[in-house]
Amino acid sequence: MEIRYPEFSWGEPLVCLVLGLIVSSVIYFLLPRLSIGRAIYFKTYAQLNKPLLKRPYIYLGLFIFLITLISGLYVSQVSLREFFSHSGLMGAKRIFIALFTPNFGILEHALFAAIETIYMAFIATLFAIPVAFVLSFFAAKNLMRDSIVLIVTYSIIRFILNLTRSIEPLIWAIIFSVWVGIGPFSGMMALCIHSIASLSKLYSEQIEGIDEGTMESITATGAKPIQVVWFGVVPQIILPFISFTIYRWDINVRMATIIGLVGGGGIGTLLMQYQGLAKWNEVGLLVIIIASIVWAMDYISTKIRQAIK
Amino acid sequence: MLKVKKLNKIYPNGTHALKDISFEVKKGEFLIIIGLSGSGKSTLLRCLNRLIDPTSGSIIFEDEEISTLKGAALRKVRSRIGMVFQNFNLIPRFSVLKNTLTGSLSRTGTIASIFGNFSKEEEKKARSFLKTVGLNGKERSRADNLSGGQQQRLSMARALMQNPELLLADEPVASLDPATSHTVMDYLKKINQEFGVTIICNLHFLSLVKEYGTRVLALKDGEIVYEGPPEGIDEQWFRTIYGEDAKEVRIK
Repeated sequence: MEIRYPEFSWGEPLVCLVLGLIVSSVIYFLLPRLSIGRAIYFKTYAQLNKPLLKRPYIYLGLFIFLITLISGLYVSQVSLREFFSHSGLMGAKRIFIALFTPNFGILEHALFAAIETIYMAFIATLFAIPVAFVLSFFAAKNLMRDSIVLIVTYSIIRFILNLTRSIEPLIWAIIFSVWVGIGPFSGMMALCIHSIASLSKLYSEQIEGIDEGTMESITATGAKPIQVVWFGVVPQIILPFISFTIYRWDINVRMATIIGLVGGGGIGTLLMQYQGLAKWNEVGLLVIIIASIVWAMDYISTKIRQAIK
Repeated sequence: MLKVKKLNKIYPNGTHALKDISFEVKKGEFLIIIGLSGSGKSTLLRCLNRLIDPTSGSIIFEDEEISTLKGAALRKVRSRIGMVFQNFNLIPRFSVLKNTLTGSLSRTGTIASIFGNFSKEEEKKARSFLKTVGLNGKERSRADNLSGGQQQRLSMARALMQNPELLLADEPVASLDPATSHTVMDYLKKINQEFGVTIICNLHFLSLVKEYGTRVLALKDGEIVYEGPPEGIDEQWFRTIYGEDAKEVRIK
């Protein structure tokens, strides 16, 4: 499957590297007393103890940056001619006109799909909360440093969480669509897994930032470890936890539309289907609905989070 | 009631905070520990109820070696030793009454305490101790709505809930103004005299030491440099403890 242009091969970079090595070793070993600077300025060897360039590394860095920029433009096939070509502009005009004249005939259909998306995100967030809540205490360094067992548990949980979080929800959705079949359930599972990982991280960072004095004073009363956490830690973190959770629901609604593109159900799946059929008027309506949901979620979550501060 | 022998604490970063500290405390004493910041006062106090584990040495509390206790036995001993802190360390969002009740956590089951099910007797006790420290009528306010002096009195009520035999006070007045400091110290004295609770208290101000302490321990660089009655600290001793250039600050 050849989909890259230009075609990459090991040949050219290797040739360049070998050539560079040969040139530099010739200069270094065979012409130790020759220098371009001296050749240009006819300076004597004794005068050359001052470097010609005062900050050679900056120039070297600039040079490397320029080379990277040029090869980057080449590799990513940036082309102004394509961008402003006549047929291209006509295509863009056609699709924008279609997008701005949405087909309201599928409004009902699209709204039901949107509701599916919102609930998908809601259930995913809801299921993630208790798991993340419990995990976050084990992933907080300040609670887990007293014995070897705790430190090992902390490291293992941190590792698993980081691994889970580094896999995009899109990939999780693909995995789950094979596992439980295409539809909202696989999308929900993908969001849930990713939410658990990222909420645990946010929660545990909050725990790491608490005032440890309260923990100390509760410990000093002779309270049991669970009581120390419940009275010394939880009251300090409960508001930030609620705030993070609402923010996460907001993110999940956005992600749910994207996840729909790979078969995660909801409005995203609908979008993909119409896009595949090149029905741009319908796509236009879906985009409007998605934009208004995202705007509304953003507004509501900001309001709630301000209110509980 | 408390015997400390050759207590040493070396922190992981190499700081030798306590060097061969040995002293005894008798029942009913009001022992005051003075010294510069960083002289090891806080570390010493926290070793006594094992918030910090000492590196070596022994702590004998009521004929029991407590420096190596673990788990339930350690919690049992902690429950018999109350503690108040410089920054009060209350739960800011909880009510005054609930903060007081946290002093009874060691006697309350885990599940019951999580659901806030403290027994009627505990609540009655909490109210009476709040009265003792002059906070009656404030039971329902949030702890963070109290003034500094009131917060410190609340933390004393919490400590009293433990029915402590010993009360550790770590710089109890360091973040309070002079007038409030005296009120708080008066309540400590009241706890000492009326309830017979032995008190070990870290302090900055020498004037307070002379007014409240029955005995003084001075620490310098982790070592005891003075042990005796407060009146014994003259100009010469003061310089030894606080350095040559020190001037005494009095609060009236």
